[in-house]
Amino acid sequence: MKRNLLIIVTGAVLVIIFALLLFTFQVRQSEIAVVTTFGNPVGTAKPGLHLKWPWPIQQVYKFDERIQNFQDRFSENITADNINLLSSVYIGWRISNAEQFLRVFKDGSVTAAQSQLESMLRSAKSIAVGRHQLSDFVNADPKQLQFNQIENEIKQTVQGQLQTNNCGIEIEFLGIKQLGLPESVTSAVFDRMKSERQVLISHAQYEGEAEAQKIKANADREAAETIANAEAEAKRIRGEGEAEAAKTLPVFQENPELANFLLRISALQQSLNQRSTLIFDQRTPPFDLFRSIPTNTPSH
Amino acid sequence: MSDQHEHLHHTHERFTPAPVTPDDAGSEALAEAFHSSFTIVKFAMLLLVVTFLCSGFFTVGPSEKAIILRFGEPVGEGQKVLLSSGRHWSFPYPVDEVVKIPITEIQQIKSTIGWYAVTPEQELSGNIPQPGASLTPGVDGYMISADRNIIHVRATLYYQVDHPIHYVFGFASAPHTVQNALNNALLFTAAHFKVDDILYNNRAGFQDAVLQRVTELADQEQLGISIQHCDVESTPPRQLKYNFDQVTTARENRNKVLYEAHTQENQVTNNAAAQAFTIANLAISARSRYIQSLEADAKAFSALLPNYKINPDLFEQQQLVQVMGNVLTNVQDKFFLPERLDGKPRELRLLLNREPPQPKTGAQM
Repeated sequence: MKRNLLIIVTGAVLVIIFALLLFTFQVRQSEIAVVTTFGNPVGTAKPGLHLKWPWPIQQVYKFDERIQNFQDRFSENITADNINLLSSVYIGWRISNAEQFLRVFKDGSVTAAQSQLESMLRSAKSIAVGRHQLSDFVNADPKQLQFNQIENEIKQTVQGQLQTNNCGIEIEFLGIKQLGLPESVTSAVFDRMKSERQVLISHAQYEGEAEAQKIKANADREAAETIANAEAEAKRIRGEGEAEAAKTLPVFQENPELANFLLRISALQQSLNQRSTLIFDQRTPPFDLFRSIPTNTPSH
Repeated sequence: MSDQHEHLHHTHERFTPAPVTPDDAGSEALAEAFHSSFTIVKFAMLLLVVTFLCSGFFTVGPSEKAIILRFGEPVGEGQKVLLSSGRHWSFPYPVDEVVKIPITEIQQIKSTIGWYAVTPEQELSGNIPQPGASLTPGVDGYMISADRNIIHVRATLYYQVDHPIHYVFGFASAPHTVQNALNNALLFTAAHFKVDDILYNNRAGFQDAVLQRVTELADQEQLGISIQHCDVESTPPRQLKYNFDQVTTARENRNKVLYEAHTQENQVTNNAAAQAFTIANLAISARSRYIQSLEADAKAFSALLPNYKINPDLFEQQQLVQVMGNVLTNVQDKFFLPERLDGKPRELRLLLNREPPQPKTGAQM
């Protein structure tokens, strides 16, 4: 009896598992499912456990609802100023309407969708690149740089095409991933860059010498000014001294003759200080004393 | 009757079920085998059930969070969805599914455009292949700068996942999306920076601009990450390395010349300042000396005046003789010319610019 019960329970569990596999399906978080009855979509299912009729009555197609990355090939287009520009863009796209997506792309093939996106991107990129000059892509002036605008134009074009075709796809974001030039152009750019470097070399040399000259000239001028100022200051100080000295003038005015005599004496002392040769006769004091010495001068 | 009874008895014995009264050893062994097999099966099933339930235990590491999906749907609401580090239990697959998300550890992603074709192994060994005359599209990455120069730039971005639910369930490949944002940021920033600014003059500004752009993109695209920092590396095309080096050398030389000029400037201005200081000081001391000397003269004058007033001529003679005495002691050559007898002046001839002979001994007359 006990053995039979065990067999019944085991059997029942197996039947339940089998039934669950046949009649239920799970939709994972970030997924969306489209249920078709005899091939016709009858509704979508959000994450969780759901019931269904077994195949071939109903069929469940699951789609990733998350943002998916896609980037197109690095392809060449001509800008408005006739420059061959290589570019590649990346997009973040997601399935916004799973039923439409299933209807447009066979078995909801993501590869087919990306192929469609690639062709839309190619034409949108060609239009956008052709409308702009290279200076809109690269420019030191932020006001003239139209990088974001170009990205937006491509996005709008692709988004418009997707809506027109009811693809059930939405572009969340789009950005330029890479820009480049054809291989032959890169070597021409290298030649130009070499010339620019040469200009910079001579500019650095000239600039250094000119600047150094300027610095030295400024320094000389500054030094001359400093010394001139100092000399002016010295003159002022000496003037002050003379003004101060004038205060002693009344003392000398008491007897100008004596003052004059003393000045002359002082001048005499200073002028005959050293390395001087003095020629004098007996009229010069104190040699006038020699007059009284008898000489070989014949007396009259 | 008794025989019949005996016969019945025997018959009864013959049809008694085997386990009760086994009639041969074979059947008994078979029964026992069934019995033991059944026990093993029971045990195995129990073990399976236990294993099945135990397989639901899982560990969440210190740098990650986990989300349990029950039949595909997250268990819990809001922030409670996220399980912190520690031991947890969930129903095994297919009922529950555990999704682990790295959260506290810093994620790292490298840009894929902008650098020439080289493998990490080649870089590590220093065995970088020689560059060709041009760059091959799709093989050699590079950027076009604002002044239309070609430049190689690459970046490594460090970020943390702030909103794990968004990061994992919002994007099929969030790291790839972050990488595309980084590539775009490099391209966009290079497009409005000049090559010399990227390489030399404004490296920090360029790096900041890349960081700013990638942060903006991460916010716009709602990636649920916070960017820590971004390392940017840039180099001129290898084909033009010599030319760029030459410019660097020329700039170094210019700086050297300027440095020398500044040194000279400092010397000249410092010398001038010192000279000016000396001039001013000399003037000050000359002024003091002059005033002091005049004051001394005035004092001497006042002291001499009474004597002078007594007999001016005598005073003058005395002073003159005294001064002449001093003067004659100091004077190198002294010539005494007595008057001619005839009273005519003597003629004296002097050889100019003659170096006066040094006195040999004492004063000469």
